[in-house]
Amino acid sequence: MNTWVKVARYHLVRPASYLTLPLLLPFAFAVGAVTARHSHEAAGYLLSFFLYFAILGVQTIGRSLPFGLTLGASRRSFYFGTALLGMALALVSGLVLTALQAIERATGGWGLSMRFFRVTYLLNGPWYVTWLTSFVGLSALFVYGMWYGIVNHRWGPLGTLAFIAAQVLVVVAGARVVSFEHWHVFSSARGSSAGLTALGLTGIVAALTVLLLASGHATIRRATV
Amino acid sequence: MTPAISVTGLARKYRDHTALDDINIAVGAGTITGLLGRNGAGKTTLLRILAGQEFPSSGSVRVLGAPPAENEDVLRRLVFVREDQAYPDIKAGQALRAASWFYPSWDSALASSLLDDFGVRANRRIKQLSRGQRSALGITIGLAARAEVTLFDEPYAGLDAVARQIFYNRLLADFAEFPRTVLLSTHLIDEAAALFEGVIVIDRGRVVLDAAADVLRGVATRVSGPGLAVDALAEGRPVWERRRLGSQASVVMVGPLSPDDRAQARSSGLDLTPLSLQQIVVQAAAGVLAPVPETERTSA
Repeated sequence: MNTWVKVARYHLVRPASYLTLPLLLPFAFAVGAVTARHSHEAAGYLLSFFLYFAILGVQTIGRSLPFGLTLGASRRSFYFGTALLGMALALVSGLVLTALQAIERATGGWGLSMRFFRVTYLLNGPWYVTWLTSFVGLSALFVYGMWYGIVNHRWGPLGTLAFIAAQVLVVVAGARVVSFEHWHVFSSARGSSAGLTALGLTGIVAALTVLLLASGHATIRRATV
Repeated sequence: MTPAISVTGLARKYRDHTALDDINIAVGAGTITGLLGRNGAGKTTLLRILAGQEFPSSGSVRVLGAPPAENEDVLRRLVFVREDQAYPDIKAGQALRAASWFYPSWDSALASSLLDDFGVRANRRIKQLSRGQRSALGITIGLAARAEVTLFDEPYAGLDAVARQIFYNRLLADFAEFPRTVLLSTHLIDEAAALFEGVIVIDRGRVVLDAAADVLRGVATRVSGPGLAVDALAEGRPVWERRRLGSQASVVMVGPLSPDDRAQARSSGLDLTPLSLQQIVVQAAAGVLAPVPETERTSA
């Protein structure tokens, strides 16, 4: 058996964290259904499901890395095996979200005119785009969470704070540059962002995921336990 | 004999201190070697580097003929049991199940039998286990893995004397059936002394003794009795330690005693006590141990 697959199985030996996923979705949906009676718009609650992927990513490092290396996995295998698990979960979760979106459409928003699985612009297209966008988004958040977990493992809470601060600085600086140069990335063309379709944005997030994956790997290479 | 572990010029320096400095050792395949030394001497750092969990600042480390860091060809043939092992929030049985996927020679029957011997229930969460039970779990993984290189770092912290004896017995029995290279770090030196074929003593990051255990067992003798008789026997010979209390004296004499020496001691009413391995290690750590002749060192 490939070591990446062994690492993925090793994570699943403790299923509690992953069983939260199918429980979280109906819970968020129930909260959304209650509030949707007023606004019919409950897609924001779906965000909790996406954010949980980032939390899962953090947990896979902090709790499992030391024993994982003791079991004879290299850092590289541990990292990519963990990412493989995250992406497999993202793939299945994306499929579930796509199916539920189809049901939501077919039932007129669950009989409540409710929009929970149809997120304006992001998850509102054909089924394959919804699946792809969900998969890429969930994968990105999982890998991003892993990177946080690695940073926290290597440099502790202070290092994590510095890591957050550095990212805030990058985002703020980026926003300043964009506004200074008058780069109209976001415009109202075709009712989407700067003519950027959900599929196009998915492509950008996919590229970002690859970048995050490479950055996380570079960070874990010198991790010690 | 081809060394299973070979370390040359190894150093590990941190910002404010040097954990290991110019370590040169070779551990023969199919041997049990004691890695001994005081707290903070550098034993755990050395074992972590051998297991690829820590990186050296300089020097060469080879385990089973190759550098261990990020080398799965080596890592899957090596198991490292450490006192402070951190586990995820899983049950003891789940930890064993995960270990069984990674080690090609894993013996599930042995693992179950060891857990039973140590009184650890497989369905208990590891975080609910006592310190001794956690140690027992580590020992179980270390033995059941049947890895070609087995590194134990204070594996029996918190274990009672009965459980420790179980460990020694099971280690020897399994070693006899499935020989492997075992490097065992421990503070309970005399208790484990009978296991060792070789002994490596580290002090303040440096190897101060690397010798065959058989050589060390006869390397020094404590001679005690009337002061004049002790002085007469020790005259002109290397001595590590002298004590005098009134007319009584005691010295630690280096080197084997001849039959004539023993006869002289007997006629003078002197007591002869071979120095235990623990006492030799204490002397080594204190820096008073004369170097063991090169020919008597464990050969690579």
